[in-house]
Amino acid sequence: MFSKPTTEQLLAGIAEQLRTTVMAEIQTEPTKILLQQIDQILMVCSRRAAHEIAFVHEEAQRIAVLTGKDMGAPASLHLDEVVAWYHRVSVALSDEVEAAFVSGDQSRIDTARVALDARSAVEMQILGALDLVGRG
Amino acid sequence: MHNVNEMPARIAAFFAKVEPGWKNVKVDSYEVMTGGYSRLLARAEVTHAGGHETLVLRGDPPKDRQLIETSRQQEYELLCVVADHGVRTPRALYFDATGADLGTATIVLEYSKCTSFVPWFNAGGSLDGLHLRLAEAIAFYQSVPIDKLPASMERHASWDAYMTKRIDAWRQASHNHVESLPIFHYVAEWLDAHRPPEAPLVLRHGDFQSSNVMISADGQFEMIDWELAGIGDPREDMGYFKAVAQAMPPDLLDDTRIEEFCARYRELTGMNELQVNPATVAYFLILGVVGTVEQLMQGGAKWATGENHLFTSVFNMSSVVFGQSMWLAAASQLSEPMKRIAAAAQGGK
Repeated sequence: MFSKPTTEQLLAGIAEQLRTTVMAEIQTEPTKILLQQIDQILMVCSRRAAHEIAFVHEEAQRIAVLTGKDMGAPASLHLDEVVAWYHRVSVALSDEVEAAFVSGDQSRIDTARVALDARSAVEMQILGALDLVGRG
Repeated sequence: MHNVNEMPARIAAFFAKVEPGWKNVKVDSYEVMTGGYSRLLARAEVTHAGGHETLVLRGDPPKDRQLIETSRQQEYELLCVVADHGVRTPRALYFDATGADLGTATIVLEYSKCTSFVPWFNAGGSLDGLHLRLAEAIAFYQSVPIDKLPASMERHASWDAYMTKRIDAWRQASHNHVESLPIFHYVAEWLDAHRPPEAPLVLRHGDFQSSNVMISADGQFEMIDWELAGIGDPREDMGYFKAVAQAMPPDLLDDTRIEEFCARYRELTGMNELQVNPATVAYFLILGVVGTVEQLMQGGAKWATGENHLFTSVFNMSSVVFGQSMWLAAASQLSEPMKRIAAAAQGGK
């Protein structure tokens, strides 16, 4: 397969063409708003495509260290199997959060919280800026 | 409303039926409006022998293009109740409950002469005193007696029962999603561990944000888009307003205004400082959004499984990503203040 331009580059390139060339041809306001939303989602996809398999593995490693539990591994690096495994990792973290609060152990709650903050930081890195186009 | 080309004829036929006294009805224009994320919106100019009407049509999109599922029947009944109570909101004038006439379940509203708040602000509108007007607007619609609200709205056995259900909605939103959402579980547990003092249950708007308020020439707020309304905690709409303002300024409840806002609201409602203060409002910045978050996540899940083809469902998941970072930060800041408030409330009993 040709690996370059990367998926990240291709998606960002499509977004740029929509923004700079197609947008000027759009006449109706609802379609302009849709195009702005598509632009934002394409940029999210671009950032995700570059890192998502690595991101979920890094998160699973963090959770394994924080909880002392083995998170296992996906059956392969094909995205469907990675996503199925990541769901199991997320369930483990959700269960740990609930167990931490039930225990009342503040250090255990704080430990779970560290994992959640890291997860949120990655999500925000992927999101970039939020612009609620079409509202107001 | 699904077929724009049919609408002038449909509207003319509709008024021949509901306003038999109108003669020579002519639909001068029919324009799709932007701004409604969840429902179809259009503006119609209608002339008849007795005068001219500017109307707004608000209807359900096709099933596979619905961002969220809500009842037009309930919304119509509520609009009638709140308008009769004197709440500033565009009046619902007609209702096609089945869509037999207008193509989909549709509420026909009067066209508001007010200006949308966000564009008004972006054009240089002054915020002076508006946080007080906001407190007054909220206190007023919350004064609608619960027994006057549509029978279809869920009544709750107690405030505690209501809060338990709302908090659990965070867990359920994760369980019902296409993947587990650990931050939702944290939010639920944190909210449960830091409950505020009890408050009387009232009408809540449910989507009370700057893009759902308009401003009149005399500087008063008018509320629109009541589709997510229900009966709930009075601080939910305040927190929700603040939550959305984090992503879409201006924030009328920022640090410079929140104390005065709370004081004005307490003055109007008789609630006390332990019930309504910057910390309890911020608590509901988290809890108050759960209804919308549930709906947005359901929309995203249905898109992922192919049951929904509305691109906005995907786009709106970005708001939840942003929200998660905000809820975590708010929980960190509020843990100690909420513990102090709970202790003071216990001491006062």
